[in-house]
Amino acid sequence: MSIVNIFEEREGHIAKKGEQSMPLACNNDSLAGAVSQRACVYSGARVVLNPITDALHLVHGPIGCASYTWDIRGSTSTGPDLYRNSFSTDMKELDVVFGGEKKLAACLQELAARYHPPAIFVYSTCIVGIIGDDLKSVCSKASDELGIPILPVASEGFRGNKNEGYKAACNALAGLIGSSEYVPKGPSINILGEYNVADDLSYVKPFFEEMGLEVIATLTGDARVAEIQRAHTAQLNLVQCSGSMTYLAKKMEEKFGIPYRRVSFFGLSDMSNALRTAAEFFGYPQMRELAEEIILRESKRVMPAIQACRARVAGRKAAIYMGGAAKAVSLVQAFRELGMEVVIIGTQTGSRDDYKNIACIVKDGTVIIDDANPLELKELLIRQKADLLVAGVKERFLAYKMKIAFCDFNHDRTVNFEGYEGMKNFASEVCITINSPVWQLPVKRTSCVGNRIQLNCLTAVNSDDIQEPCHS
Amino acid sequence: MISKSLATVNPCSMCMPMGSVLVFRGIEDCMPLFHGPQGCSTYMRLYLAHHFREPVDIASTALSEKGAVYGGAENLKQGLKNVIKGYHPKVIGIATTCLAETIGDDVPQIVREFQMQEPSARGVSIISVSTPSYAASHEVGYRVALKGLVQNMARKTKPNGRINILVGTIVSPADVRFLRQLLDDWGLRYILMPDISETLDAPLGRDLSAIPRGGTPVDDIRDSANSTATLTIGGSVQEPGAGDYLEREFGVKHIALPLPISLDFTDSLAASLEEHSGLAMPEIYEQERGRLLDTMVDAHKLMADVKTAVYGDTEMVLGITRFMSEIGMRPQIVATGAVNPAFAESAAKIAPGCKVMIGADFTQIAEEVSSRDIEMMVGPFTGRGIAKREKVPLLRVGLPNHDRYGASHQLLLGYEGSMHLLDCMANVLLDSKDIERLERAQ
Repeated sequence: MSIVNIFEEREGHIAKKGEQSMPLACNNDSLAGAVSQRACVYSGARVVLNPITDALHLVHGPIGCASYTWDIRGSTSTGPDLYRNSFSTDMKELDVVFGGEKKLAACLQELAARYHPPAIFVYSTCIVGIIGDDLKSVCSKASDELGIPILPVASEGFRGNKNEGYKAACNALAGLIGSSEYVPKGPSINILGEYNVADDLSYVKPFFEEMGLEVIATLTGDARVAEIQRAHTAQLNLVQCSGSMTYLAKKMEEKFGIPYRRVSFFGLSDMSNALRTAAEFFGYPQMRELAEEIILRESKRVMPAIQACRARVAGRKAAIYMGGAAKAVSLVQAFRELGMEVVIIGTQTGSRDDYKNIACIVKDGTVIIDDANPLELKELLIRQKADLLVAGVKERFLAYKMKIAFCDFNHDRTVNFEGYEGMKNFASEVCITINSPVWQLPVKRTSCVGNRIQLNCLTAVNSDDIQEPCHS
Repeated sequence: MISKSLATVNPCSMCMPMGSVLVFRGIEDCMPLFHGPQGCSTYMRLYLAHHFREPVDIASTALSEKGAVYGGAENLKQGLKNVIKGYHPKVIGIATTCLAETIGDDVPQIVREFQMQEPSARGVSIISVSTPSYAASHEVGYRVALKGLVQNMARKTKPNGRINILVGTIVSPADVRFLRQLLDDWGLRYILMPDISETLDAPLGRDLSAIPRGGTPVDDIRDSANSTATLTIGGSVQEPGAGDYLEREFGVKHIALPLPISLDFTDSLAASLEEHSGLAMPEIYEQERGRLLDTMVDAHKLMADVKTAVYGDTEMVLGITRFMSEIGMRPQIVATGAVNPAFAESAAKIAPGCKVMIGADFTQIAEEVSSRDIEMMVGPFTGRGIAKREKVPLLRVGLPNHDRYGASHQLLLGYEGSMHLLDCMANVLLDSKDIERLERAQ
């Protein structure tokens, strides 16, 4: 018997550590009618590729898919902003009937001439998969004619969940990597699975540079096409968002012999470990020393502020619901740094290994959930007595309606959470939301009068609104 | 010179299922269900949550590759079953997506089968509407869903002496609250639908029910066939919808009105209500009208000849344009993403000489803005890129508004709403100018 039992088909996807068997059922189609928080293949591809700032991202499909993903991420740019536009072939009924290849080809010509992008990504949507437009040949032909890489992204929405979209995006990226030559100036790395949400990179990348490392490319936060094209010249790939980018890291290892290491830039210990991981890989004693210097200096700098927050949140209970597992795992450690207990942890697209790992790091009594829906989340938040939910916008208003503190750790957050500074910001936001006076306000006003005049005969008076008279 | 391109760059419209949600969410105990892949419902939930700052649950039949190949009947039935199980709705509003439409699922037939086979479906009204994204915009999706509701549910019984008030286009919860208040104050007996005033702007503190409380009661929709008349508020340039259906099928007289934004259009609504009820407009609204006029006189010099660009949903744009003309402003660009020729005709009449755009995207609007010396833009937040680039102040109105607070509380309708709109426009204009010099606005 599962801890919440709204839909029996979902039983294997929810477990309490110490009570139910692990690992969780995962990575299958969402249950029809259950209001999954997941998106689609296209969404996965779009969030991975969209942060490439100077590329033109063309959605081949009806207008909706482009409308809802226009400027969807909080990924920022230090330069070009072409990626913040929304390009669509805006397929209409006739395109669906007669095929959209001609329109796509014409759009590519026109957009290339108008915007002069160094590369174009063409995303396929559900409809394209059904009517069978041959994206590959249209793109390759246009690429020859226009002399720029035009990369088809096989992201038909219905072909799976976000994970499939990550793969489709990685495959498109693989088509770019290695297409230009470059000689790094010294020891060099790529940073994979880092999307520069709320300027995160500017709080992380300088440390690696301080250690004497050249960052060839970041994939894909604040990336330029030209950087990605020479990413194969780096000596090491650091992979942060493992769910989206491990696939590419493995491809690069196979093809170019670049090893990869998993890291996280979130939380003090994870950030420090990331610097150490890079230093150890290169093995230069001086680089190790530099890393330790940075770690000491930065930890010291942010510690007083974090400690002040810790004093006001320690012992409170946190719930985590993330898109991917890497961030969820990192959060467990971060909450440990804040003295908080994790009572629920879930992801949209975690794998078997991810859930095994999660089960290892959380305490008994923690509920682990795969592909949750609002009804289950609501039930769990009550049962597990969570004081705080860390999730994305869809979950934000559920938490608020339940009078539970909330912290947005998704791609439209606007506050930097990575690096040392980021942990300080995170601690501060957690502290602010948990300790806000709004939670203490009386939801029900004490009324001294029992009867209420009914203003309109058609407006039914809700019995909830009538208070018992008080006897003062 | 950039002209209309084949590709759409920065869309000024959304897709049909989006419109359907705003109707279904305005029905009591109604759960929207998209027949299609998981992404559609998640994207639109996200989009609406950003705008209304409310939880918005939209179920999905989560069609996958298997469904796409073999048809989505099984998913649809399972989806319906689970929605009933999890949400206990009285109504399920099914909207199709591109995928479901293109694979050719016969949704009404699958629903009929489901209703015969499934005991838990007893007592649940299941409405399906056809809303493929490639066919038209969210405005059409809204109209089609509203029509679908009455088509499926309205039943002739005995005259009820009430008036149907159809909210014919997307407005804010505050606007719907205003309409209810107006009708209550007028002493009218009415059926208002859809009613998102509570469902998409819920008070905090009550127990959180699976489906937000409020909305038009199911019995009211059924009873709409028996009303004395139908007023569609915000139906001036729309194709035939729910009101026309009720007139044709049940002989309920239908009057389509513009949205009551501006003195003129609010007067039209007042005249219609007076004619229908035989009662004069309540005194408090006469006073509101006077206050609106007073505000218009106060601000007339500041607003004189201000060149504006108005864009967004058709009815809202027309109302705002009318209001601008009344004050002496000069709407230069009147644009919508919808492909709606009736809008073009109406806009040209309201603001002669303006550039009217239908089926527009923001690249085209941007081009017009930069060539016309525009001093203020009024429309959804999606125009912010142009506003920033062209250094034109933007007043955010309508859906979507993802980057400012108060979308749910923004009142545009009636004399009062028009007055708020004027206050906001005047202040946005002042904020954009040299504040010190204009410290005392004339």
